[in-house]
Amino acid sequence: MDLAARLGRLQLLVVTGKGGVGKTAAAAGLGRLLAAAGRRVLVLEVDPRENVHQMLGVAPSGGAIVGAGTRLWVQNLKPGRVLDDIVRERLKVEMLARRVLASPIYEQFSAGAPGLKELAILGHALRLLRRVGPPDAPQLDLVVLDAPATGHGVRLLAAPRLVSEVIGTGPFGALAGELAGFVADPERCGIVVVTQAEEMPVEEALELREALASQLGRQPELLIVNGLFPPLPAGLERPEIFDPVDPLLPPEPPPPSPEMPLATGLLTFWRHRRFLNERELERLARWWEGPRIELPLLALERGPALTEALRQLLAAGLVAERG
Amino acid sequence: MSLLADEHPLIIFVGAGGVGKTTLAAALGVASARAGRDTLVMTFDPSLRLKDALGVGQEAKEHAVRVDLEAVGELHASLLDARRTFDRLIERYAPDAEARRRVLGNRFYQHLSGSLGGILEYMAVERLFEVAAAGRYRQVVLDTPPTRQALDFLEAPARIVGFLDSGALRVALRPWFDEQGRLKATARLGGLGRRAERFLDEVVGLDLLRDMAEFFQAFSPLFAGFRERANQVEELLRSPQTLFVLVAGPGEERIPDTLFFARRLQQAGYHLGPIVVNRVHPEPEEPLRLGPPGSPGSPQSPPGSAPVPGLVDGIQLLTWLGERDRQGLVQLAQLLSDDQPLVDLPLRAEEPTDLPSLADLGADLEDRLADWRQHLRREG
Repeated sequence: MDLAARLGRLQLLVVTGKGGVGKTAAAAGLGRLLAAAGRRVLVLEVDPRENVHQMLGVAPSGGAIVGAGTRLWVQNLKPGRVLDDIVRERLKVEMLARRVLASPIYEQFSAGAPGLKELAILGHALRLLRRVGPPDAPQLDLVVLDAPATGHGVRLLAAPRLVSEVIGTGPFGALAGELAGFVADPERCGIVVVTQAEEMPVEEALELREALASQLGRQPELLIVNGLFPPLPAGLERPEIFDPVDPLLPPEPPPPSPEMPLATGLLTFWRHRRFLNERELERLARWWEGPRIELPLLALERGPALTEALRQLLAAGLVAERG
Repeated sequence: MSLLADEHPLIIFVGAGGVGKTTLAAALGVASARAGRDTLVMTFDPSLRLKDALGVGQEAKEHAVRVDLEAVGELHASLLDARRTFDRLIERYAPDAEARRRVLGNRFYQHLSGSLGGILEYMAVERLFEVAAAGRYRQVVLDTPPTRQALDFLEAPARIVGFLDSGALRVALRPWFDEQGRLKATARLGGLGRRAERFLDEVVGLDLLRDMAEFFQAFSPLFAGFRERANQVEELLRSPQTLFVLVAGPGEERIPDTLFFARRLQQAGYHLGPIVVNRVHPEPEEPLRLGPPGSPGSPQSPPGSAPVPGLVDGIQLLTWLGERDRQGLVQLAQLLSDDQPLVDLPLRAEEPTDLPSLADLGADLEDRLADWRQHLRREG
């Protein structure tokens, strides 16, 4: 099936990958893309720095759901607040709820119980999709989750099963069981891995793939390889062309110190970085099965213009992946 | 300014994920051994190539491994694994085999996800303390975990003490359950107690609480020693002999993060050494400036050929990156006080992944700092 259509039919799209590879930018670009395709989309972020807001050109909103364009919303989520809300909903009596929320055992439980924060994040998405959350929330078709970095991303997706094993009963247990089914269902929940064609991020992407398969029996829907140096123009892949050609000049001295990696200039640098990219792309081609989109490094600051450029590139990439 | 000549027996690299902390820590370790010191590099999550370069594998999680480096000083490397350290700690402190079995087999312990009062983060600091106390090395270089909130790691000892003092532990250690594993009557809490009990059972299920209570009880003999250790670790981290090197990514958009880290370190009373802006894209060079297409000597027209498609875009991209990074550096320098050491290191054509290139990088870092000091003298 057309990958773009398949992504569009999902209810939750989890975007994860190593820190610093452009996860947030990819999540924002995907959000715009799917909203443009007619879905009502919320881009949900857990990082306290509200970078998604910047990518979508919205002022930081301190946890509120705010509009970021046609059929597109953005929210920065504090997981602890979601847990507190569930306690308030269950206990109804405000005074009792306050005493529970202030008690050290609850504090330690909510901070330390394995998987509970992760459960809160996924549970929040599910509640919004089912309209059981805050009454003023918009009707949504899809939540794009800008998930924590790799190890924590796996933990996030594995949390429902873990919690449902540890807590069998009660509202948290029931929510965990429901979410475990949701996360395991490729018709409703999709996973996008973002990486860069450098050794560490590729290593992490491959490990993540393995962890998803072994712990969840899941495969990512899509790999986005971000920030590629452009290929060298034909004929310039080899260094000789830019060596000094004037036979009257003495040969260039070697670079004065190792801090000058540009033995023969910017072009050599480009060539080396591109070579590094290609080496890692080859590794991915060998070990990564499934759809893959390559995105070039763009001369754009973080912000709406970058998001728009990524949306267009992702749209083109998804078309190319069709078939 | 030099990281090595100033005699800081412990140097800690901090910064956001993906900025190259681990590689720099290894590079400084190599430089230190070459300067004649017995050195230990403690790292969390090195790349495969870096592990290969240092020649360490899984065994480095158990003990420091000697790196095969020809240098006056010895270089050792170890990998920090919080879980292994915690397991070992339990093995060491558990009063008997039964207690050990109970903790290690406890579901709560097995699933402990690293957030409980920062216990897992604390384990890495604990390991550092062991090494420092043993005094085997003249120089210890510590890499910190790749988290977005990298300073969590440093706050771990204080959080442990806070946790021990908070009363949460007393609550957790209360004999909540009778011998049949059922919740003891909370009659003395009256109606609230009964309601709280009902709530707890309904919301979390009593199984989890039972596991938690058992974990804390099995673990309680260890807590006594913890507080003292945590205070000592805290002292070690704040000692003027311990120097923090803040590694940052280039570009303006990273500046707020960098300033945030720097201020928090200083406010918390740690000794901030240099800020290293790492992986700066190369400066656009004269011969590669864009001339009109086809003009003699301009790069897009090698002699006797037509302009090369794609070249202008590529050069423009690289120029943009180089200028963005340089602007970021200038702005950061303006925001820092004049006596705050700030150096930049270039993004290299190749990642340093063997001992010679690590040695180069370490020497480069030292040279940059020496230049900075000279620059300061000239200005002053």
